[in-house]
Amino acid sequence: MQPDPGKALLDEQFSELYRSHLRDVYSYLYYRLGNHHDAEDLTEQTFLQAYRHFERAQRESDGRPLRPWLIRIAHNLAANLHRDRSRRPQSVLEEDASLPTARSTEELVSGRDELARVLEGLGSLPDDRREALIMRFALGMDNREIARALGRSDGATKVLIHRAIRQLEGLVADGQEAPA
Amino acid sequence: MSDVERLLRRALAPVDPPEQLVARVRSRLLAIRDEAAEELESWELAAMRDPRNWARPAIAVLAGAAAGAGLLVIGRQERSRALLRRVVRRR
Repeated sequence: MQPDPGKALLDEQFSELYRSHLRDVYSYLYYRLGNHHDAEDLTEQTFLQAYRHFERAQRESDGRPLRPWLIRIAHNLAANLHRDRSRRPQSVLEEDASLPTARSTEELVSGRDELARVLEGLGSLPDDRREALIMRFALGMDNREIARALGRSDGATKVLIHRAIRQLEGLVADGQEAPA
Repeated sequence: MSDVERLLRRALAPVDPPEQLVARVRSRLLAIRDEAAEELESWELAAMRDPRNWARPAIAVLAGAAAGAGLLVIGRQERSRALLRRVVRRR
């Protein structure tokens, strides 16, 4: 049987998507879920699901970048995981609501308090605000990409990010003023 | 850019995925290809006489070929990256 040239091209394009955005998907899931183990599992699932629906996504994308579509898959998988876990009791070891950091020890020591306060504040933001900030600052996504990933309008996303930053500033300032 | 935005940029540095994750994704794609091949093998020849049954095995072949081709490209890229890392380490 002759290989389908259209399918071969599609596979090459999927490989390119995988190579370009593996780190984006992994970073998003790592900061979203708080540990490497879950981030690995869901990164794998994200790409397998993307592979199954790639042709359709490409057809419907109108030439727009597919990163928001990938992140939306990851976002939905993470939401499902949280929902499933909230339905069953967890062991103490599994309960870790704090956000992780990818910084080296040296970097952490130099700006330890500031970074710790920011991560702590980020962890206490509402889910949609926290996710928008992860997309903006960990992945470098612009408002339009974040809007597509979250299924919101550009305007609503701009307001969401603005409010998230203002709220985080307030939380960090409160932390600085609090007595030791 | 505010102080908090600068701190966020530092705190949320991108994270490199572990090496074994690439192998895991590759093996899952291989499994998809194998499932498609098994489905094709188990299809009885008699059923093939009916044109209504032709679409399913054809899809299985395409899915298997697609997964295989995708893996080849991903594998080649991984080998290139590994080679580059070795060269950089030697320097």
